[in-house]
Amino acid sequence: MVKFAPPADGRPMKKNDLILIAALLAVALLAYAGVSLYSKVSTNKAEAVVYQQGKEQGRYRLSENTVVEISLENGDYNILQIREGQAEITEASCPDKTCVRHRPISRQGESLVCLPNQMAVEIENGADSGIDGATD
Amino acid sequence: MTKKIAYTGMFTALAFVFSYIESLLPINLGIPGIKLGLANLVVIVALYLIGVKAAGILSLVRIVLMGFTFGNPANMIYSLAGGVLSFVVMVFAKKLKFFSVTGVSVLGGVCHNIGQILIAIIVVETVSLLYYLPILILSGTVAGVLIGILASVLIRHLEKALAVSQ
Amino acid sequence: MKKVYGVILLVIGIAVLVSAICLYGRDEKLNQYQGQFFDCFDTVTTITGYAGSQEEFSEKMDLLKQKLLHYHQLYDIYHTYSGINNLKTINDAAGVEAVKVEPEIMELLKLGKEMYEQTKGEFQIAYGSVLSLWHDYREQGMAKPNQAKLPAKEELSKRAQHTEMGAVVLDETASTVYLTDKEMSLDVGGIGKGYAVQRLAEYARELGMEHVLISVGGNVSAVGAKIDQKPWRVGVENPDQDSLEPYLCTVDMVDQSIVTSGDYQRYYEVDGKRYCHIIDPHTNMPPEYFASVSVLAKDSGRADALSTALFNMEFEEGLSLVESLEDVEAMWIGKDGEIRSSSGWKADEKK
Repeated sequence: MVKFAPPADGRPMKKNDLILIAALLAVALLAYAGVSLYSKVSTNKAEAVVYQQGKEQGRYRLSENTVVEISLENGDYNILQIREGQAEITEASCPDKTCVRHRPISRQGESLVCLPNQMAVEIENGADSGIDGATD
Repeated sequence: MTKKIAYTGMFTALAFVFSYIESLLPINLGIPGIKLGLANLVVIVALYLIGVKAAGILSLVRIVLMGFTFGNPANMIYSLAGGVLSFVVMVFAKKLKFFSVTGVSVLGGVCHNIGQILIAIIVVETVSLLYYLPILILSGTVAGVLIGILASVLIRHLEKALAVSQ
Repeated sequence: MKKVYGVILLVIGIAVLVSAICLYGRDEKLNQYQGQFFDCFDTVTTITGYAGSQEEFSEKMDLLKQKLLHYHQLYDIYHTYSGINNLKTINDAAGVEAVKVEPEIMELLKLGKEMYEQTKGEFQIAYGSVLSLWHDYREQGMAKPNQAKLPAKEELSKRAQHTEMGAVVLDETASTVYLTDKEMSLDVGGIGKGYAVQRLAEYARELGMEHVLISVGGNVSAVGAKIDQKPWRVGVENPDQDSLEPYLCTVDMVDQSIVTSGDYQRYYEVDGKRYCHIIDPHTNMPPEYFASVSVLAKDSGRADALSTALFNMEFEEGLSLVESLEDVEAMWIGKDGEIRSSSGWKADEKK
């Protein structure tokens, strides 16, 4: 009753197989080029978003060097500098200067916080850092 | 008919054992989804020697069994997606008669990985998983070639053995 | 016939696949949201969770914020709030009278006493008299860095005489707290935040939130896992603030808490030397063993107290304490960046 499929070719590979393999390798290469191009574009999309008292005040692309003065009505301020794809606070009126001491940030979800001035800078649309929270 | 059923059962058990052996091998390249796919060897041999239906059933049963025993039921959806896409493509590729066993196996390996990543993108809702696509196509091709060569040798020999036992 | 079988097989396959997706994707309609506020414990609170909509999440966030604000007021030693007896009320009544308190204060102080015993006095809640002296010098030093000074040794040891734990009298039946020494004061800086985070995590669960990550100024507590059953991944901050590498390692957490005590955030400098906000009760000076110590434990309050205590202890002593405790792991980062950890510490070191 059992009817077997036609016997497999003696040789393990045909010319068509080799063409297929070559084509797949080409596709993989092409996909790699596409992905790396895309990820380059997406890091360029990363933005430093400034929040004051929880409200968004402005967005600045990390790809464009700039200096922003973030000031409060009472005269307190933080100076945000964006250079070479990184954001950092270079100067601030706050007493503790924790925000100035903090290292520059560039990755998705990283933040600079100035508690006395109730100001936070967060990276959005950046490359994923894969982290949900941080302990310091 | 009885023989066919017996063969299907035997091959299913074999595929199950192969999956288990593979789950024991500590291959971890840090990228999910990269594996040799030893079970696919059994599926391909069954596809050529027993038939489409038997190969399909054993492929499904193997995945479900693995999911509930040594694997993780939550991850079964990924194996299913990969298994079904890979199987469907292999059946059509075989029908075309354009490729040898190796070509069919390569297509199966690549489609298995593509199926998994597509379902992962839907479930996790992260398109960025596409980053893995190039490496998964590459690994699928390499695994497919290895499994394909093994399968064509096996088919050549088993064909006689199974025919004799008829 | 063959074709029919093929079609049937295909249909079954697709059906199984679709139902698996539906089964798996039941919860997937929930989105991840994050809320942030600045009003509690002088730090940033970040809560990450899941909800069907922004409104639904905000509603729960408001409830959580109310709760945390309540703890903030109870454990405040600088301000009084009308209608509430808080730690300042207790401190102000030192040597005068017992103060009736809410269970949240009683429970915290009980845990504080327990941790004092467990850490052989390296963690202290009755250490307010010394801490407040350092606090004043630090505030002045930060405001005018070129005039920054250290408190005098004599003054410190004089203040340290009023830190006897026995003088903290807890009466559970009357639910009152009495400090018998007029000069003494409570300061729960090393445990209050962690304890509040633990209670907040429990409250979140009561609200039906099963997947939440709460971070109050680096006191991080995970309720359950993430919605996809993956653990919450928490980065341990690199104490070297000039390094471009933000995290030294990451820790995966499910129903656990992590707390880090470090010398690199709150400190002031005198003659170019750094003096951090943590003070060793045995020397009355900031300890100089480590840049930071992280403690992973089930209970955030214990983790908080332990991280402070370990920061005050030599490595070997701290290690044997950690190893003697169940479900507690720790990682020590030396001033030179050297990383050491307890036997059960599991982290992905990433460069």
